[in-house]
Formats: sequence, C-alpha cells, structure tokens
Amino acid sequence: MNSTVLQRMASGDVAAVRECMDRYGALVWSLARRLSRTAADAEDAAQEIFLDIWRSAARYDASRGSDKVFVATIARRRLIDRLRKKGGEPPMEPPEALESIAWSDPATEPATAIDASHAARALQELRPEQRQVLELGLMHGLSQSEIASRLSMPLGTVKSLMRRGLMRVREYMNIEIEGVAGRADG
Amino acid sequence: MAETGPQKEPDEAMLDLLIKQVSEGLSPEEQRELDVLDNEVASAYARDLEHAAAAISVAGTGEPEPMPQALRARIEAQLEAAMAASAASGAAARNAHSSTDGVRSSTVRSIGAAPRPQSRSTAGWWAAAACLVLAVLGWLRAPLGQGPGTAPTPAQQLNALLAQPGILQIQLDMTAEPAAAGAKADVVWDPRTQQGVMRFVGLKPNDPAQHQYQLWIFDGDRDQRYPVDGGVFNVPPTAGQVVVPIHAKLPVQAAKAFAVTIEKPGGVVVSGLEHVVAIGKAG
Repeated sequence: MNSTVLQRMASGDVAAVRECMDRYGALVWSLARRLSRTAADAEDAAQEIFLDIWRSAARYDASRGSDKVFVATIARRRLIDRLRKKGGEPPMEPPEALESIAWSDPATEPATAIDASHAARALQELRPEQRQVLELGLMHGLSQSEIASRLSMPLGTVKSLMRRGLMRVREYMNIEIEGVAGRADG
Repeated sequence: MAETGPQKEPDEAMLDLLIKQVSEGLSPEEQRELDVLDNEVASAYARDLEHAAAAISVAGTGEPEPMPQALRARIEAQLEAAMAASAASGAAARNAHSSTDGVRSSTVRSIGAAPRPQSRSTAGWWAAAACLVLAVLGWLRAPLGQGPGTAPTPAQQLNALLAQPGILQIQLDMTAEPAAAGAKADVVWDPRTQQGVMRFVGLKPNDPAQHQYQLWIFDGDRDQRYPVDGGVFNVPPTAGQVVVPIHAKLPVQAAKAFAVTIEKPGGVVVSGLEHVVAIGKAG
C-alpha cells in the first residue's frame, strides 16, 4: 500500500494526496521541526518537501529501501539545503535544550521501514560517543564544529567518530539487506 | 540498499566530504573539492551514506509529532493544485515559459545610484497618483510565520524600501488583458532581502466575489513552471495608485521575474497563467 501512495502521487492521482499526508505528514513535520531554525522555517520547509516528494515520487524504487526512508532522504536534502542557506542564524533551541532521541526499537519497527529498523539495530552496536555524535549531527542538525564545541572535542575527533559510526551503519544495512535477500532467494 | 557496496574504498578525505555532505551540506569550496574527486566510488558511497543517514533519521523519529492541521490543509491544497495544474498543463507550462521569456523589454534600474533614464515619464504618472496611496484590501492569507498586527502598512514598506541602497525598480509590461488597458505598474525590490512591493496605477477595479488579482514571483532556484505565490489583492473602485506588498508564500532565493494574474477569489496555489495582466523581468 505504501509504495502505491508514491506511485499514485507520481501518476498525478489527486486523491492520493490525503493518504500521502496521513502516511508521511508527521515524519516530515518532525524532521522539519528538528532541522529548522524557527517554527516558520519548519512550515516553509514542510511545504517545499511535499512538493519535492510529489516531483520525485516516480523515482521511488522499493527494492532500494522503504518508502519512509525515501521520503526522509528527500526531506533531509531540502532541510540541509535550507540550513546552509540560512548559515549563521541561531538555532530554534539552545544546544543545551536538545532533547535526547528516543530510538525506535528494532524488534517492533514495522516491516515497511525495515531499513530504518536495520539502522536502529546498527546504532545499538556503536560506541556511545559514536552514537552521540551521529545523534547531534543527523537528528539535531548540529554542524561538526558545533558538535566539537558542545562536546569539548577536537574537530578531527568528531569527524572520525562520525565517519566510523556512519560507515558502520552503512555496512550493517548492506549486510542485513543482502541477508534478507539471500534468505528470500533460498 | 539492495545492491552491494562498491569494491574500491574511498580515502578518508573523500569520506569526510561525503559525510559532511549528508550531515550538514558542503560549502561551495568543499563541493568543488568533491567534484574533482567525484567518480563512481564517490557516487556509490554518497548514495549509501545518504540512505544510512535518512534511515537513522526515521529510526530516531520514534513517535513523530503530528503536523498542525492548518499547515496540513495548506499543503494538501498546494499539492492538489500543483498536481491538477500539472495534469492539465502542457499549455500552462508553455504559457509560463513564454511569459517569462517575453519580458526582455522590461526595465531594471538601481534606485539611488545613477539617474533614472525614464525618471521624467515615470515620475509623472506616479506623482499624479501619489496622493492616493491605498492600503490594499483583501489579503486572505497571512504570510507564513508572521503574526497579525505586526506588519507595516504598504506605504511604510514602500518608504522603507526606497530608503535602502541598491534597490531595484522594475517596470512591468502590461498585457492585452482588458483589465490592464491604460494601466502602469512597477516593482520596487530589495535583492538582498528578496522583499518588495508592487505599485499600480489604472488597473481595473475588481469585484472580489468574482475574481482577484494575484502576484507571482519567478524564483531562479525553482522550477519556472511554478512561480511562488506572492499574495492576492483587490483594486477598489476609487483607487488611484495601489501599493501591494509582495508576500511570498515560499522563500525566494533569487527573483527573476514578477507577474500579476487574474484568478478566482482567494487566489490559486498554482496558476495556469491564463490571464496575465502584467509581467516584468528582474534583470
């Protein structure tokens, strides 16, 4: 059903809009809130993201990942682009006010976002400082320099932790998906 | 991702650039650096890392926060209109392109810099109506993120803009639409803040129950088939000069052209550009 929403959006089925909002509205809004400097920015970003989703829907390929991660990819591109253009503006919340992330439980994650479930499992295996750096960078939108400042770490250490952490998640996701594909073939 | 990773490993410098790209974006210098390195390995890793970052984002969203109803309604309307217009509109797209392509004769000049080559004629018709500056009626949709009662009047906005250095004054071309007969219009635009106002004299008064005028901004960073909605406005029967603040509903990075259309009451999210009354190019 879920990939069908994107396919129907791509084919211009106006009736799919509400279903698209039902399925992705909260995800996009949550990402926009986290990665925008102000509430008004988040609203503007959400509008742009949904236009991007419609324009990109035809490119969705279920064999390459879940629809939710596809949508999150589009959302992140737009949000990062907006953050860069807004450059030196202060964040919506001071760094000390950042909430800790409630990571989804891989055991209960719906099968429709299986790649997100693999990512959550991979995160559990990371060193705490690797997970913390990825959380601040990817979930709270802090730059590597801001993370270094916040954690009183050298910038090189932040880069190294992020590099190793994200590469580990990437490897884990590839292994898991190959494993799933292998089991399905067998 | 279903495909296996690339066989060749990227070096640390390339990885750092790729990871920065997916976590916070690259500066133009860093992007050029990556472009030099760019090859099959970089592309494959960029795709994988972006996918991993997005998967982490979904995993970390947990119980997502519901989108506000008003915003959801706005986005639904925007999407439905965009899809409907796209479906109907090979013609609309062609109209949009031809409209923006056809504004080469518009005049752009910098206020406060060199003397204006057309100052006598334009000053004449603007001065003739200067005492009749009217606040524009009928803004049906407030600009995003702006609270009521906080905005300056159109005349105040115009004066504030005119006091800024480097402001552009863009003469609009009036079309053959009956409503545009004998009218004149221009845009005062601040390219640094991407904000401005439109001024009209002689535009035919409208019945808001039948139709409204709507402003559009063609942003160089966006698909030219979908100009940014700049707000709707009315021209009262007794209006002389009408000053209309441009309230872009989406951020404008680089305005390339401006247009005014006649639309149904309340305006539209995506215009077919079937009734363009004025258009002008920003350089």
